[in-house]
Amino acid sequence: MLPQRFDQAKPFLTLGIALLAWLLIPTAVKRMARTSFFELQAPLQTTASYVRDLQDFWSLKTRSKNELIEAGRDLARLNAAYEARLQQDAALRAELERLERILKLPTPPGYRAEPARVVLRDFSSWWQRLVIRKGHNYGLVEGAPVIYAGGVVGRVREVHAYTAVVELVSSPGVRIAATTEGDTRPISYQGGVNPTYGPAVGTVEYVPLDIFVTPSAPRRLVTSGLGGVFPPNLTIGFLIRVEPSSDGLFKSGDVRLDPALSALNEVTVLVPEPAASAR
Amino acid sequence: MPDNGSERSGGLVETHKGYNPRVVVFYLFIAGLLLILAGGLAYQQLLRSDSFHESERKQNQRRVLVPGPRGNIYDREGRPLVTNRPRFAVTLYLGELRKEFRAEYIRIRKAYRETGDKDIPSTSQMERIARFTVVQRYLNQINRALGRSETLDSDDLDKHFRQQLLLPYLLVDDLGHGEYARLIEQLPVTSPLQVYASSVRDYPLGSIAAQTLGYVTANDAIEAAEDFPGAELTTFKMKGTLGREGLEARFDPLLQGQTGGAIYRVDPAGYRINPPLSKRQPVHGRDLRTSLDADLQQAAEKVMTDTELAAAAVAIDIRSGEVLVLASKPDYDLTGFIPRLSHPAARDITERGAWLNRATHGLYPPGSSFKILTAIAGLRSQTIDPAVRVNCTGYYQVGGRRFPCHDGHAHGEINLATAIEKSCNVYFYKQGLDMGVETLASEARRHGFGRPTGLEVLETRGTLVPDPAWRKERRDARWFPGDTANFSIGQGDLLVTPLQMAAFTASVARDELTTTPTLRHDENRAAQHSPRSGLTGPQYAALIAGMEACTVTGTAKVLQSPFMKIPGMRIAGKTGTAQKQTPHGTINFAWFICFAPVENPRVAIAVVVEGDTPGEETAGGRYAVPVARAILKTWDDKQKKHPSPLQSSAVPASP
Repeated sequence: MLPQRFDQAKPFLTLGIALLAWLLIPTAVKRMARTSFFELQAPLQTTASYVRDLQDFWSLKTRSKNELIEAGRDLARLNAAYEARLQQDAALRAELERLERILKLPTPPGYRAEPARVVLRDFSSWWQRLVIRKGHNYGLVEGAPVIYAGGVVGRVREVHAYTAVVELVSSPGVRIAATTEGDTRPISYQGGVNPTYGPAVGTVEYVPLDIFVTPSAPRRLVTSGLGGVFPPNLTIGFLIRVEPSSDGLFKSGDVRLDPALSALNEVTVLVPEPAASAR
Repeated sequence: MPDNGSERSGGLVETHKGYNPRVVVFYLFIAGLLLILAGGLAYQQLLRSDSFHESERKQNQRRVLVPGPRGNIYDREGRPLVTNRPRFAVTLYLGELRKEFRAEYIRIRKAYRETGDKDIPSTSQMERIARFTVVQRYLNQINRALGRSETLDSDDLDKHFRQQLLLPYLLVDDLGHGEYARLIEQLPVTSPLQVYASSVRDYPLGSIAAQTLGYVTANDAIEAAEDFPGAELTTFKMKGTLGREGLEARFDPLLQGQTGGAIYRVDPAGYRINPPLSKRQPVHGRDLRTSLDADLQQAAEKVMTDTELAAAAVAIDIRSGEVLVLASKPDYDLTGFIPRLSHPAARDITERGAWLNRATHGLYPPGSSFKILTAIAGLRSQTIDPAVRVNCTGYYQVGGRRFPCHDGHAHGEINLATAIEKSCNVYFYKQGLDMGVETLASEARRHGFGRPTGLEVLETRGTLVPDPAWRKERRDARWFPGDTANFSIGQGDLLVTPLQMAAFTASVARDELTTTPTLRHDENRAAQHSPRSGLTGPQYAALIAGMEACTVTGTAKVLQSPFMKIPGMRIAGKTGTAQKQTPHGTINFAWFICFAPVENPRVAIAVVVEGDTPGEETAGGRYAVPVARAILKTWDDKQKKHPSPLQSSAVPASP
């Protein structure tokens, strides 16, 4: 029988052995273990999101017919508006293709839109992330831009077999080449350090000195399209405050982001497609 | 008490003496040693603590200084002439690559060992190779993103690593907007590669007034404010700027920003430990509002450039003395100094003679434009009566030498006004000789010739008003009447700058002695005054009548031609064509001085155009007048568009 003193030290010994084992395990194995852990977790999260969808479905079933008729009518109006815009877009696209043909320009790289449901929201002071219900199985790639009806959501940070992690535009790890609406000079946008449940803000740097805004007269901040990741003219947020930076060359300031970012259910991932050759 | 101990030990008896004097000595010795130790400890810990603390601080702290951006330079209407523009660059923080350097070094060492190579590089060589490899990897990343093919300089990288590890290493400079946008979107936020914006000089209106504005060069020795902490620490300085010429040099202390920076703790290898212990933001330098008028300056420079000759033009606000135009051609491209002037560009500037600001440093004989001063001297000394006529026979005999009139033919009986109008040399030869050289030289000095005008930027000190004493002292030679004749028409040894002539013209317009020009604009500047010239009303009126006639029917009558006339503007002026003997022959300098409007003088101008071909006629009316006309036309157009509230309070033309 082991002495009593050794029995008392057994938990520490076990911990020590475990730590030693973890240190000695090859990095590849560790990485696989971490990924596997996420992949094992993913079905649970996905199932939970399906259950939430089912809940939503049954709660909608309880709505009166009048409400449904009203919603249907609103939807029809919205569809009509989108239809008109689609036709305009089609005409513009045709014109663009004609000009590209004439000038023998290569078609700029396009995107394949991949809609995805949000299965989890992971907000903290350090990062703000969403987990979406599509991954490698739909051809998502790391770094792909993610958008929604109101503009930019963020970028795909990790891609797993059936899910992907999206870093929100409010997260400090996201930086975008932006411009103010109607301007062409690029500004550096970066997510701020945001409280978990507070209104999300971002920061801007390298704002030209002739840009003026006030909280009552903000300016829309959009993607510049120059960075090669996001297509142009997607809303990032609204520039609400700028002040000259100490170097006198630029201004820096704050951007108010859409509060809806923290309650998204559906987003669209823009999967980059290779550029077509010159025609 | 019984002694039990001695009973237990049998035959051995241990005796103990309670007090042994010899032991005391030993105790004292030990105590002394302990005292020395304690004293040493106290000395090191208490007295030298601060010194050790300071040494430690110096050893593990570094100070990084960042220059403040320079102030902007504006014209009188607030239009930017010199500003700062951002220059984007990609930099690499080598301090954050320590682990990568180490991993690469181990990989390289392993690779060498595996190959069994006998000539294995030394540790320092392998470390250098490792650093180069890692940095090259990051550069390749940039090249891929930007489609560039930048290369890495191994020696430069090594030098930076050894001497400036705390400063970011410049990988790719001068990024375009698109390139900068691509990098900020594609580089991870936490990457050691970062986009860095530095400030360089920008010239929104191009290189106008190039020599007047001056340029800046890199300054490796930026200084921190006295209250900036850490003066005793090892300091790394980022490059600042230093004004080298013109306004940039003269107002360098004003334009310089306040240096900012930070103090970092570093590890024994010199790598930075974030965050900084203290930090101070650099502060933008103060702005300079010059008196230059960008419209007038551009108008003058355009015509000067069209002549394709070396030239200078100065325009002065008569009321305030503020310089509106200070132009010199040939000039240089100010953007060529960013980030530094290349050797071929410097050589080109030297070969073209473009370093010289001819407006402030060009030394010229003023030629016939000096006749205005001769007239004033004669009028004041009563040797000239405006009404008295002098017969011009086409030449004037001085001793054994015949001095011709300027265009070689006789003007006949002429008075002062006509002599000025026709630029008659004979009239002024006679008047000069009548009044004498001393009177003429004295009057010239009274009007500020022979000394700098007092402008803020550097002026030449080579201007000269000659007289017999000067001739004797400098050349040990006599002064002859012929010299006086030459002097009276602005020839001979007399040397002036275009700036002096413009200031003189402004003084004449106000009927005063001197004008102190300034390059700083002040909207509330009081009207400038100096003592009156001493002319009577009729004398002054005759002088101005002659100057006005010069621009109507005289040597500057080209101003009345359909393409040159400025409707409604009366101009008083005087042309001049000075000669200079060169080894290749005589070249001409075309002069024109003027002020306008005659009834309400506002702008005084002096223009000189250098002829470049010996023997070729470069007359003031043909070459210099169009430059002045361009300035006046632009000024007139601006006045009609935005009449100046000061117009009504301007100095009257006659006393």
